[in-house]
Amino acid sequence: MMMLMSRLTTRTIATALATVALSSIPGVSAHGQANLSVQGFGFPTGQFSTRTFGTGGALAELDPLSPINPASISIIPARMVTFQIEPEFRTVTTSSGSDRTTTARYPNVFGAMPVGHGWVMSLGASTLLDRTATTVFNTTQFLTPTDSVPMTTRFRVDGAMDDIRLAAGWLPLNWLRIGFGAHAITGHNLISITQSFTDSLQFAAFTQQRILGFSGGAVSAGFQLVSKNVTAGFSARHGGNLNLSSEDTLLTSAKVPNRYGASIAYTGIANSAIAIRTSRDDWSSLGSLGTPNLHAVDAWDTSVGADLAGPKIGDRILFLRGGYRTRTLPFQTGTHTVTEQSFTGGLGTVFAAGHVLGDFAVIHSNRSAEGLSASEHAWTMSFGISVRP
Amino acid sequence: MFKKVLTMFTAIGVVFAIAACSEKLDAGASCPLLCPEQAITLRDTIIDAAVSDTTVTGLPPIGAEGYLMLASHGDTVETRAIIRYDTIPQTYTKSGLDSTIVNIDSAYLITPIARPDSLRRPKVPLTIEAYDIDTTATDTVAAVLAPLFRPDRLIGSKTFAPESLLDTLRIPISTDTVLDRVKNGTKLRVGLRIVSTQGVDLRVGSSGLGLGVTLHIRASKDTAASPVNVAPTSHTPTDQPFLSGPLADFTIVLNGITATPPTLLGVGGVPSRRSYIRFEVPSHIVDSTTIVRASLLLTQSPNRRLDLHDSVYVYPLAVLASPAITNVGSLLQFVGPPGQFGLDSVRVAPADSGVVSFEIVGLVRTWRGQATTVSPRSVALRSAVEGQLPGEIDFFSTKAPAAVRPRLRITYVPQISYGLP
Repeated sequence: MMMLMSRLTTRTIATALATVALSSIPGVSAHGQANLSVQGFGFPTGQFSTRTFGTGGALAELDPLSPINPASISIIPARMVTFQIEPEFRTVTTSSGSDRTTTARYPNVFGAMPVGHGWVMSLGASTLLDRTATTVFNTTQFLTPTDSVPMTTRFRVDGAMDDIRLAAGWLPLNWLRIGFGAHAITGHNLISITQSFTDSLQFAAFTQQRILGFSGGAVSAGFQLVSKNVTAGFSARHGGNLNLSSEDTLLTSAKVPNRYGASIAYTGIANSAIAIRTSRDDWSSLGSLGTPNLHAVDAWDTSVGADLAGPKIGDRILFLRGGYRTRTLPFQTGTHTVTEQSFTGGLGTVFAAGHVLGDFAVIHSNRSAEGLSASEHAWTMSFGISVRP
Repeated sequence: MFKKVLTMFTAIGVVFAIAACSEKLDAGASCPLLCPEQAITLRDTIIDAAVSDTTVTGLPPIGAEGYLMLASHGDTVETRAIIRYDTIPQTYTKSGLDSTIVNIDSAYLITPIARPDSLRRPKVPLTIEAYDIDTTATDTVAAVLAPLFRPDRLIGSKTFAPESLLDTLRIPISTDTVLDRVKNGTKLRVGLRIVSTQGVDLRVGSSGLGLGVTLHIRASKDTAASPVNVAPTSHTPTDQPFLSGPLADFTIVLNGITATPPTLLGVGGVPSRRSYIRFEVPSHIVDSTTIVRASLLLTQSPNRRLDLHDSVYVYPLAVLASPAITNVGSLLQFVGPPGQFGLDSVRVAPADSGVVSFEIVGLVRTWRGQATTVSPRSVALRSAVEGQLPGEIDFFSTKAPAAVRPRLRITYVPQISYGLP
């Protein structure tokens, strides 16, 4: 668990080390990333497990491995750790060309342990907003009417806003599950600007770095109602203060976005679930965390999907998953709201006599902004592995 | 069947997972549509940052020249190259056995030269004369040495056609003189003079570069006898090797010593000189911004004395001594090597005029956050052929009219917060 946590926070460690090299940092005006999804403070990965991704997100309020509804962890029968790898292969197309990028993400690490009397405790970290992106562009700067210099600017942002959750789930009745969570919102954005010049004789390249650190808190609660053929889950997160600092200077403050959502699933087929979910994130509360040019919007996230017991391989069931998701992304491109539609599919099974759960999901997302001649297509592969010692 | 499918999917998944560990993040084709505010603004300013400057002649100090300047321009410039052989062996080797030198068949000065480029190649033959300049007087002073270049002290000479000036010249010298010094175990000190019907410059190798003029002695006609090669050596001043070592060979100037007026900064010339410029740059630029260009703008004043159109590389150099040293002559000897901090040379000719830009951003960046006592805000100027060729480059100093004084052009990125979306 600790190893997995440490991998998740590799960027955090790197940024901390980079702090040592920083002193009074000059700066420039630079905002925005060269894509639709990673605007503002970044891309909301969704905080879903691989299993939930396979269903488009529809099982998020019911899935114990997704750090959404703390009530869901109450059904975890034994100690468990889980880890997720989620590379995204993205293509952004505009009238001026296309960019293909690959982003490695480790969005979810999680551990849970029953503590008796129907209670289960868990500790996990997940990515709330991933801002990792690099923008490279060429410009010509006119210093005087007769003096100009072509230059290449590389604007890199590395890091994320993370959600570390300590949760407790309780199973007081067979048809009722309850959970509570305490969230620490942490993480860093390491901003690097490198500028190089065609005329390297007169001009010297430079790199500037700055670390933006997040610190905030939130609480969450949820419950699940279980019947023979239907399971429903509801959860909400209430955001507390969120501060953005550079070194020891507080730059801006905002509120952690509130969120509430519900899933309802038909479970009348053995080992299967067909679900629909919707949730609302009040991302606009992050608006004051950035510059006045930052436009964050409240967003719905709705999905439908199924997790069906497929063919058996020996005594193992191969789960087949599929889903569809539509949502609004939190940060506008300029004044254009970005939306996303995703089709998902996945597989899952158990290994090692049920001690290891392996899940795989593939997500194809199309992102666009109304009124903007830009589109973004992404293939995301999600690999999740859970171990029950 | 299902096992095979599962295995295949697992393998594909592992491949993707490994591939995904290698990020490829660079993008930018969608700018400025999706990233319209990425513009970085550079600011440019020209300031009269030079607060004091001066020129010091006699640098590099005697004996520290890279090559020895052998020049003859009549009344304008006349120099001599001095080579000391304070230790000459008294034996030679023949068939593996040492024999005492009792006779000398031939003696030459094997003289490495810097091959003149096509523009500097003499147009007419030149003669190099060698004189015995041994004296008991102070023999680093031109006034003492100059009278010794007289006919009764001539020990050898040779005339060379311009096309023969390649890399090494062999100048025969008097075997009797050499034998006398060998037998008596005394020193031989030779002065070289160049003679031509036109003004001529020749750069002669020095021991400081490992290219000293070698005294080549053949003590026997027998081909089995090995020649004796004697490298320049100086034993005076006695018991001060740090002074006597460089004096194994050096240049003296007989005619043409000039001084640089206060309104000018001189580089090179005869005798060779360096210039020093001290700056005061506002702290809000040096310490609070990122400097991407720093150009020292000097206005050249044409020097029409010698080698008007022969290009010379002028180097800006970092002064490495702390301001605790106040003697500028000393400061100008504690300078960094050419190219340190990325400082590059500028090629100019003595007769040129106009503004010359020295790019010193690498040096100016070292001033950031440093006290002037640690990182002095100063720069030295020197010629790449100082002490070797007579060409002199002059720039207007801080005492010249305001329009032509040294200036510093700085291009910088101002301090603005960044990173907030």
